[in-house]
Amino acid sequence: MALELVVVTPSGEALCEEVEQVVLPGEAGDFGVLESHERFLTPLGLGPMQIIGTGGSRWAALSSGFAEVDGTRVVVLVDSCALASDIDQDASESRRVAAGSELAALPDVEENAGERARLAAVVAKAELDIDVAGR
Amino acid sequence: MANLRDIKRRIGSVKSTQKITSAMKMVAAAKLRRAQDAIENARPYAVRMRSTLEEVSKGTLEETHPLLAVHQERKALELIVVTSNRGLAGAFNSSVLKLAESIVAKREPEFDTVGLTLLGKKAGDYFRRRRAHQIKHDSPIDGNVSYEQAADVARDVARRYAAGDLDEVVLVFSEFKSTMTQTPVSTQLLPFAPPKSSADEEDSADEALPFEIEPDPEALLAALVPKAVEIEVFRAMLENQAGEHAARMTAMEAATKNTEELIESLTLQYNRARQAAITSELVEIVTGAQALE
Repeated sequence: MALELVVVTPSGEALCEEVEQVVLPGEAGDFGVLESHERFLTPLGLGPMQIIGTGGSRWAALSSGFAEVDGTRVVVLVDSCALASDIDQDASESRRVAAGSELAALPDVEENAGERARLAAVVAKAELDIDVAGR
Repeated sequence: MANLRDIKRRIGSVKSTQKITSAMKMVAAAKLRRAQDAIENARPYAVRMRSTLEEVSKGTLEETHPLLAVHQERKALELIVVTSNRGLAGAFNSSVLKLAESIVAKREPEFDTVGLTLLGKKAGDYFRRRRAHQIKHDSPIDGNVSYEQAADVARDVARRYAAGDLDEVVLVFSEFKSTMTQTPVSTQLLPFAPPKSSADEEDSADEALPFEIEPDPEALLAALVPKAVEIEVFRAMLENQAGEHAARMTAMEAATKNTEELIESLTLQYNRARQAAITSELVEIVTGAQALE
């Protein structure tokens, strides 16, 4: 038990604790990190993170970023990190519905591409939050 | 000589102005502390991002990412101008706007079009009257600076840059130096210049162990560079926020001091007028009494 997990977001350090294992949503698929893992760097996608400690496992919703792993430390840099216990399911649900209907109302043409991508990202994030909160 | 009651009324109104300015100063001071905390909180992320970028760009060709590529064409320049939503902060907004205006004027001949992305109501108010046709995007800063808003703006310009619609993006904002000084600055946002690792820091032997990069450096760079651009915009917004409150605090402190001086001189004037009234009354009584003798 000597793996230090540090999650940093633009609004500050979200997590900093000792864990047994952490499962991260890599862009090329989920991967687990145990102590003495090889040093490596990889991009992360939007997805759930599983934190496995001595007292069981916890979940958190991560949005995209990357992870820096070395033998004793995992540094995760992401846009946002929300622990399952901190997620407000109702707020996420209403965000999902609002963005979803806005997306459906927006015609799929070239000049809307940016706005559509943004709305789709909001929907995906809200869906992830709901999924993680339910775990 | 002004009427006694007029002077009294003016003193009253200046006093209530003083209450407002000193309250605003207090509020700005509290908000400034929070804004400074926000800058502090964002720092670890930015520092790690920078070190990772250095790590990755060491081994790779920099031209592999569209946001790093320098465009040879000079078709479109975009300025991102960050100001506050509200005024009453001294010359804070106007100095940023002046810098932005001078950059537009200077670089306009070089490019076919110069677009403006405006953040904060004050920038919108200013450019809507002068360069309305050049505004591409105009939004107030919502509440406390959020990473999402910064990321949205950054993603939008990054997408247009990658598509070849933009050839250069410049960020104009107020840098928060201290409570007393905020300097308007402009930095080139795109094409993005990855930080160069300074040679002196290479000595630490165990840090020299290279990272294994999965799946490959290009893919990581593709994830990293847009984030680095986002964090730049986010930083500009945070600095702007702290600068706004600092400038307002200073401005309101000066205003409170001015009201104090004004009250002092008005009180003096009031007392003089009162004494003059008493004197003239006395003279009247005395002359009246003398006339009766």
